[in-house]
Amino acid sequence: MSVTIAGVEFKNPVLTASGTFAYGIEFAHLMDLNSIGGIVVKGISMRPIKGNPPPRIYETASGMLNAIGWQNIGAVEFTTKKLPALRKFQTRVVVNVVGFTLRDYLEVTRFLNDCRGIAALELNISCPNVKHGGFHFNQKPKDTFDVTAKTKKASPRIPLWVKLSPNVTDIRDFARACEDAGADALSVVNTFVGMAIDTVRRRPRLKYVTGGLSGPAIKPVALRMVWETCQVVKIPVIGIGGIANTDDALEFLLAGARAIQVGTANFYNPSASQQIADGLERYCRSHEIPDINQLVGSLRV
Amino acid sequence: MLDKRVRVRDIRPLGGHNYLLTLDSPEQARRTQPGHFVMIKCSDDVQENPLLRRPFSVFDIKRTPRSGRITGLDILVKDVGIGTRRLVELQRGDQIHSLGPQGQPFRLQDDWRGRLDFACLVAGGVGIAALYLLAHALISKQITPVLFYGGKTAADLVLRDYFEQLGIETHYTSENGSIGEKGLVTLPLSRFLKQHPRSNLRLFSCGPWGMMKATHELAIRQGVDCEVSLEARMGCSLGACMGCVIRAWDQNNEEQYLRVCLEGPVMNSRTVDWNTPPL
Repeated sequence: MSVTIAGVEFKNPVLTASGTFAYGIEFAHLMDLNSIGGIVVKGISMRPIKGNPPPRIYETASGMLNAIGWQNIGAVEFTTKKLPALRKFQTRVVVNVVGFTLRDYLEVTRFLNDCRGIAALELNISCPNVKHGGFHFNQKPKDTFDVTAKTKKASPRIPLWVKLSPNVTDIRDFARACEDAGADALSVVNTFVGMAIDTVRRRPRLKYVTGGLSGPAIKPVALRMVWETCQVVKIPVIGIGGIANTDDALEFLLAGARAIQVGTANFYNPSASQQIADGLERYCRSHEIPDINQLVGSLRV
Repeated sequence: MLDKRVRVRDIRPLGGHNYLLTLDSPEQARRTQPGHFVMIKCSDDVQENPLLRRPFSVFDIKRTPRSGRITGLDILVKDVGIGTRRLVELQRGDQIHSLGPQGQPFRLQDDWRGRLDFACLVAGGVGIAALYLLAHALISKQITPVLFYGGKTAADLVLRDYFEQLGIETHYTSENGSIGEKGLVTLPLSRFLKQHPRSNLRLFSCGPWGMMKATHELAIRQGVDCEVSLEARMGCSLGACMGCVIRAWDQNNEEQYLRVCLEGPVMNSRTVDWNTPPL
């Protein structure tokens, strides 16, 4: 069941998506963390970030909008308080890194590159819910190339994944830019910018006005973007977007994703990732597939 | 905290779109303290819409009449949207999912016995759900609860009989005057506080934001503590989504965002920024 991404082996292709699984240990009493390939922790910045004012979330048809704004405890508290506890589990830890400026990204990347127990860094340049930084680097392929190349240099020891935004004209241009800049893998995709309005009060449902749409509502679009990305890059692609069950995960693997991340489903079904990991194993057994890698990209068009 | 598939034992309409749901869940009920909540998936299939679970205060713990064995818990549900609609349309025997009990409960200290004269319970509408187990716990500590309960109309003041059976002093208000005093619940509360200027009091409140804010201001004026049970839209109730925050102040009076699911739902009213409603 294992898959290899940038030389790092994951026991199975199921990970949890950043921002939906806290720092992992918060779910330890509700599922077996050892049953999944890896945990991508909540986005980490060098210094703590307070986040956006509420309301921050709103449920929509088959999905939800969020505008959290990167609230996190900062890299020092993460590595001293959360990471040691997380390291005790038999699962890989991937750290999502966030920043407002290039300097922020480089500072936190250098800091984490020296830490033990991190399997990969996931560069978050695609969050739609902060006014500066982040998203800014995912508007033009040239900027994406620059931030990826420089961050890659700041992380000589730990593989660098780049998490891409779907809010672009053609995601393939950004995927190629990352590959050319030396990214080790791509996480596809982050949330879709959306909004909702309270018609009685004539106010936006979110204080930030817009937010990122996630959940099953985005799955078909995310799947198409993963498939497109896999056509143009050789580096591994990790599929994300509305994956809530085994069949969803299989669709992304068939489209070419080497691994998948479970996001919003963790909120309403805390053991969703474990159920999907078990389900993939059952699928392989019943279809007599000896190696899950045989499924990856095996879509017949 | 437990994630349980639970059976609906009973569903009782209370009028005014309010229902009392009894869930068979002895393990969760045994762990419940006053102020705790459970996070309910409104269907048996976890993948059905609406996706997100809904938080409900535990109103009461159910026991068998004879042996007193704990069998489950009651939640108060008001039909206000697609999630609560699904819940109130459930039939006896249907299964749903319950995650909990969880959150910070009301802080009941042992040294209050004999030192606290009154505990004022201030409820608005379905906010009453957070205060019944608390009333019980206070009585067992020999502290006298006094209930202040308000709503728009008489139909909003549900489950009054539970409190009346405890034999406690009650003050009811309604905005249209259909029950109790006409006006807001803070009217009898402020009168009571004026009548007891030197009493050792503590306020406990759950209800609409504006009502809790007014209760907080009365507590400040009286120089007494007030605990509030807050409401927010929750994504996960596990501290993961960071969606249910309220704006609050830390010890240095600096802005911070606290999660209602983990750092709440019960908080000291002084930590809350009452000028930033979370809904």
